[in-house]
Amino acid sequence: MTGAKVELSCKDCDKGIESCACCDEEDCGSAICFECLVTELGQSLAQPHDHGG
Amino acid sequence: MGLATEGTNASRPRAGDVCRKDVPTCRLGERMGEVRDGVRAAGWDACVVTNDERVVFGLLRSAELAGADASATAEQAMRPGPSTYRPFVGIEEMAEVMLEHNLANCPITTSDGRLVGLLVKEDAARVALELHEREHHHEEDQP
Repeated sequence: MTGAKVELSCKDCDKGIESCACCDEEDCGSAICFECLVTELGQSLAQPHDHGG
Repeated sequence: MGLATEGTNASRPRAGDVCRKDVPTCRLGERMGEVRDGVRAAGWDACVVTNDERVVFGLLRSAELAGADASATAEQAMRPGPSTYRPFVGIEEMAEVMLEHNLANCPITTSDGRLVGLLVKEDAARVALELHEREHHHEEDQP
């Protein structure tokens, strides 16, 4: 079948994703889901509130 | 505003330190002909599409800048909702993902989406390498 969408899965957790959360590409060879990217970059670190918590 | 960064990693460079704050920006309704001319005149090949509060809506990398019709708006030409990264992410981690995914640049934003700057792959890789070499030499100097 032509024009079929390539199935992507996260390189870390194997979850099916539509596009790579890092580069937004649908044919990324190192596709990663948002949750794993957040973990990989430590972006899940709790940030202090403006008002000091 | 958050608390001051503390601890043993406080001096390690982060995405927010290395990103370029002088990246050109444009608004959704601006025409690509003028955007392209302005960006190139400033010596850039990328432009971030924001609103007046610097909230990021899209990104124009070299392909979008080169390929867009001059009469098209930035909104029509941009990559909408690009992946953004927080300023506190370590430069080594950023360099690693940018090299792995061949990202020429990526927007660094606050958690509410406001632009801090654009991190360029070559800058991230250079600073990460300098950091690595500095730490390697430091280890060799230890008795």
